Amino acid sequence: MAVVEDRVSPTPTTGGATTVASLARDWAQRDPGHIAFREKSYGIWEEFTWEEAWELIELSAHALLELGVDVADRVSIHAEDRPEWVIVDIATVAIRATTVGMYPTNPAAEVEYTLSDSGAVIHIGEDQEQVDKVFDCDQDKISQVRKVIYLEPRGFSEYDDDRLIFWEAFLEMGRKHRAANPGAVADRMAAAQDDDVMTFVYTSGTTGPPKGAMLTNRNSMFAIEKIIAESRAMPDGKPPNKSDQILTYLPLCHVAERIFSTWTMLAGGPTLNFAESIETVAMNLREVQPTLFFAVPRIWERVHAGVLIRGGDSSFFKKMWLNMGMKAADRIGKAKVANGGNHTTSSRIQHAIFYPLVFRALQERVGLRHCRRAASGAAPIAPEVLQFFMGIGIEVFELYGMTENSAVATVNYPGRLKLGTVGEAYDGIGLRIDEETGEIQTKHEGNFLGYWQKPEKTAETFTEDGWLKTGDVGEWVDGTHVKIVDRMKDIIITSGGKNISPSEIENSLKASPFIKEAMVIGDGRKYLTALVGIELDTVGNWALRKNIPYTTYRDLTEKAEVLELVQKVVDETNEKFARVEGIKKFAMIPKELDHEDGELTATQKLKRSAMTDLFGDLVESMY
Amino acid sequence: MYRRPKLYTSYEQETQLLPTWTQKGLAGAFIAVLFLLPFDIPVITDPIPGLGWLPIFGDGIPVVRFLGDGEWIRVTSQVLVLAIAALGLNLLSGVAGQVSLGHAFFMGVGACTAAYLGGHADSQVWGHSLPIWIWLPGAGIAAALVGIIVSPVAVRVRGIYLAIVTLGLVFVGIHLGNMSFGRKIAGPPSLGREFQDLDIRLWKEETPLINMSDDGRWLFFDVTEEQKRYLFFLVLAIGFTVLAKNLVRTRTGRAWQAIRDRDIAAEVMGVPDFKSKLEAFAISSFFAGIAGALVVSLSGHLLSDEFNLFFSVEFIAILLIGGAGTTSGALIGTFFVIMIPRFVEEFTRWLADAEGGVSGAVANAILTGGEGDFGFVSSGIESQGWPLSVADWNVVLFGVLIIVFLIFEPLGLFGIWIKVRNYWKGWPFSY
Repeated sequence: MAVVEDRVSPTPTTGGATTVASLARDWAQRDPGHIAFREKSYGIWEEFTWEEAWELIELSAHALLELGVDVADRVSIHAEDRPEWVIVDIATVAIRATTVGMYPTNPAAEVEYTLSDSGAVIHIGEDQEQVDKVFDCDQDKISQVRKVIYLEPRGFSEYDDDRLIFWEAFLEMGRKHRAANPGAVADRMAAAQDDDVMTFVYTSGTTGPPKGAMLTNRNSMFAIEKIIAESRAMPDGKPPNKSDQILTYLPLCHVAERIFSTWTMLAGGPTLNFAESIETVAMNLREVQPTLFFAVPRIWERVHAGVLIRGGDSSFFKKMWLNMGMKAADRIGKAKVANGGNHTTSSRIQHAIFYPLVFRALQERVGLRHCRRAASGAAPIAPEVLQFFMGIGIEVFELYGMTENSAVATVNYPGRLKLGTVGEAYDGIGLRIDEETGEIQTKHEGNFLGYWQKPEKTAETFTEDGWLKTGDVGEWVDGTHVKIVDRMKDIIITSGGKNISPSEIENSLKASPFIKEAMVIGDGRKYLTALVGIELDTVGNWALRKNIPYTTYRDLTEKAEVLELVQKVVDETNEKFARVEGIKKFAMIPKELDHEDGELTATQKLKRSAMTDLFGDLVESMY
Repeated sequence: MYRRPKLYTSYEQETQLLPTWTQKGLAGAFIAVLFLLPFDIPVITDPIPGLGWLPIFGDGIPVVRFLGDGEWIRVTSQVLVLAIAALGLNLLSGVAGQVSLGHAFFMGVGACTAAYLGGHADSQVWGHSLPIWIWLPGAGIAAALVGIIVSPVAVRVRGIYLAIVTLGLVFVGIHLGNMSFGRKIAGPPSLGREFQDLDIRLWKEETPLINMSDDGRWLFFDVTEEQKRYLFFLVLAIGFTVLAKNLVRTRTGRAWQAIRDRDIAAEVMGVPDFKSKLEAFAISSFFAGIAGALVVSLSGHLLSDEFNLFFSVEFIAILLIGGAGTTSGALIGTFFVIMIPRFVEEFTRWLADAEGGVSGAVANAILTGGEGDFGFVSSGIESQGWPLSVADWNVVLFGVLIIVFLIFEPLGLFGIWIKVRNYWKGWPFSY
C-alpha cells in the first residue's frame, strides 16, 4: 500500500459516543508515532504508525461518504486479515454505518446470501478471487450493491464493470471529498450514539442459514471493559499495553478475533501483526513471538500434535532429552492443574531444571516464548491439551462467550483456574444457569440488539425477563466455575433414555494428534458410534515411518493399520467414560471435510445435520 | 526488533552482517585478538606458587607468545594475503559459479604489474619506482582489465570447458613471462627480480612516510618489520573480507548467485548474463591482482614461474575444503590449507628429534633415514621416490582431503559448522 501523502493532523472533535473509531482517533492524537500494524510484504514486516493508520481510516471514511453511505447503511468486507480490513471496519463505524464481515472461505452462494440478507451497499473484495464470487451471484438479489472495491489490482485489467473501484482510487476519492468537506467525518463521529449498530456478525450457522447478530457501540465498549481491560485476567496483572504484540490470523469477521485483535489494540495499544495466511501461522508466530495470543482449540491441537510428531522424528539424543522434558511437563502440568494453575514447589524446581534444557526451545519453536497471556475459546478444548501447554510453561486460559453476548460470559483467572471449566463469570455481569433446562443465560450490556431482520429468531433468543439464552447447557463447579456440558441441541438421548454430551467424547478423541474430526452419533439409538476423520499430516507421517504405502486420503483411511491406530485411540477414550458413553463402533470419514463442500462452517465446526445427510449410509452401517 | 530477531521490519535489518549484539561483540573481540596476535603479552613472570612441580610452570611464564617473531608470523601473514586471493576466487567460482583454474595467472598479472610500476629499473628489468598507493591498486586494476578481456569466454562456455580455457591462461602466462618483454618485467626465467618493499611514500622521496621495511616504533610500541607487515596485511584482509561480504548481498551479488544456480533461467528473469559474468571476472581478478602483488612482497622476490597450475589448484583446494560460496569458508579454507602443511612439518621435525619412549617408537615406525627400514616418511628434506618426503605427503594429504570433502561434505569446513549450528538451532527437534 502506498504511503499517504499530504497528511493533515486528525481533526479534533468532541462529543459523540465512544466507539472504536473515536478510540482510534485518540491513539492517532496521543501517540502518532506508535506502530499500529505490521503487515508482511515481500519478506519484510511493513509498519504503519497510528498517524498513517488514522490517515487511511479518515480517507476511507470520507470516500465512503462520497459514495453516499448513510447512517446505518451496511459495508461488507470479504478479505483475509490485512490492514485494510481494520481500516475499513473503523472507517465504517466512524461514519455511523455498519460493518459486515465475511469469511475468506465463503463460497459464492454464501456471499450472495450475506450480501442480500445484510443489504450491503458497498462491498470490499480482497482480490480477483473474492470479487469473482460477487459476479457469480444472482445480480438481481444483490442489486443494492453500488460499488465493489478491490484491494489487489492483479487480474483486473480486463474487467469492465462500473461498480469496480481500485483501493487507491477509493482513497483518492476520500482525499477529494475531504478537501471539499473537511469536517464531514468528524461531524458523523460527533453524532455517534451508543446504540448505533457497529457490526453484523453472522453466526456460523450449524443449523439453518446464518443470522446477522447486531452488535452496538455499547456492546463493543462493554466487551473491551470486561474482557480486555480486566487486569485480573492477566497472569502478571498488567492489562494489554503498547509493548504488546498480537498476531492477527483468525478471520476478523468472527467476534473473537475482533475482540482479541482490533479491540485489544484500540483499548490498550498493542501492535497488530497480520499473518500472511492461515498456512503460515506457525512461521509467523516464530517471527512475531506475540505477547498476547488467542487461538481456537483446533490451533492448539495442531501445535500440540506438531510438537509430538516432530519430537518423534528427532534424532536419538534429542529425543532422549525431549522425552525427559515431556515427562516433566506432564508432572508439572498435573501439579499445576491440581493447584488452580499455580506452581507447587516441586513443579517450580522441575520447571527450573527443564526450562533451559527443553521448554525454552520448545516455547521458542512454538512462537510463544514471550507470550504473557494465551487464551482458548470459541469451541470446547480437550483438557489434556491445556495441561500439556501448562506443563511446558505456556499457560492457556480457557474462556467462554458467544457472538450474541459480545463474548462476555466467563473466564479462567490465573491462579484460580479449574481445568475442564470455562472459568468464572466476569465481575458485575448477570450469568445464571437455568434450573430446569441447565441452559446458561447472560444479562449485561454486551447482550446484542437482535438478529438483523429476524425478529422471531431474536425473540426466541431472549427469555421473557430479558436474559440471553446461550443455547449451551452448563453446570456449576464448586459454585464458582462454569462447566459447559454441550450445545443444548447436540445432546444425545439414547434409546435407553441416557443423556450424553457428545462434545466431551469428541474432544477427547481429537486430543490425539492423529484425529482431526470426530462426530459422536447415538440420538435415539441403542449405543454410541462415531464418524472419525484422521489428520492427514500426522497419520501420513506415521504411515511413512511404518512403511505403509498409501496414495490418497481415502486410501489411507482404509488401511487396516490405520483402523487399528484409530481403534486404539477410541479404546483409550472409552476408558475415560462410563460404559454407556463408550463408542461401540466407528467409521472413517472417507474425505477431508471442507467448508466449501458444506460439511464445516466457516469456523471449521462440524455441521451435524449436513454430516448425517452426507454420510447417512456410513452411520446406518454401524447399526 | 527487541527480543524478536526474526521480525524484520526493513531490508537493511534483514541483510545485516552481524544482526545481534552478541555477534557484534564476538566479531569485535576476534578482530582485536587478530591485532594482538603478533605481540608478546606479558602475563606472569614469577613462578606460580603451588604449580612449581609442573614442568611448564616451573619458571613462571614470562610472556604469552602467540606468534613469536619468526616463522609463524610469516606463515600467518601468508594466510592473510592468500585469503584475499581466495576471497576473490570465491566470488567468481563459489558465488557466481564460474569455475576458474586461472587464478594464479591473474595473481601473476598483478605481481608483474606491481613490479613494473613499483620496482626499480636496472639493466635487465624495467621499473618506475612509483609509490605503493599507485602500484598496489595498479596491480589490481591491471588484473581486473585482463579479467574483463577473458570474461566473454565464460558467456560462451561453461563448466568443465571454462575450467580448461582458464587452465590455458596459466600456460599463456608462463609463456608471456618467458618472452622478451616478459623478461623485462618479471626478470630472467627462474632467476626473477627483486621486489620492492612496502614502504608508504607520497612520491619518490628518500624517507618514506611510513617505514615498513625496518624495525621501528609505532606510537608507543616497538614493532618489528614482520609485525608491521602482518598488521598491514591484516587491515587489507579485513577490508577485503568486508568488501566481499558486502558484494554478495548487493544487487550484483544476487545476480551472481542467480547465474550460478542457472544462468539461462537467470537471464530469463532479467539478470544480464554477460554483464554479471564480466563483473565477476573483473572483481575476482582485482582481488587476485592485489593478492599477487602482496604475496611477492612477502618473499621480496618475484619469480614468474611461481604462478603456475599448482598454485591455482591450491586455491581450488582452499575453496573446496573451506566451503565454496561462503566468505567464511574461503577464510577457514585458506587458514587450513596453508597451516596444515606447517603443522605436519613441525610434527615430523619433532618426531625426528624424539628418542626413546612412545614418541621415539612412533618416530621409528613412520620415519626413515633412507632405504632399508619400514618407515614411510622420509626425514630428509630432499627425497626421490619411496619413502616420500613430508612435502610429498602434504600433496597426497590434500588430494585425499579434497576427495573426502567432495564426497562427504560438499559444503566444506563451513558446511560442518552449519551442521553443528543447525543441530542446536533445531533443538529439541530434528527439523
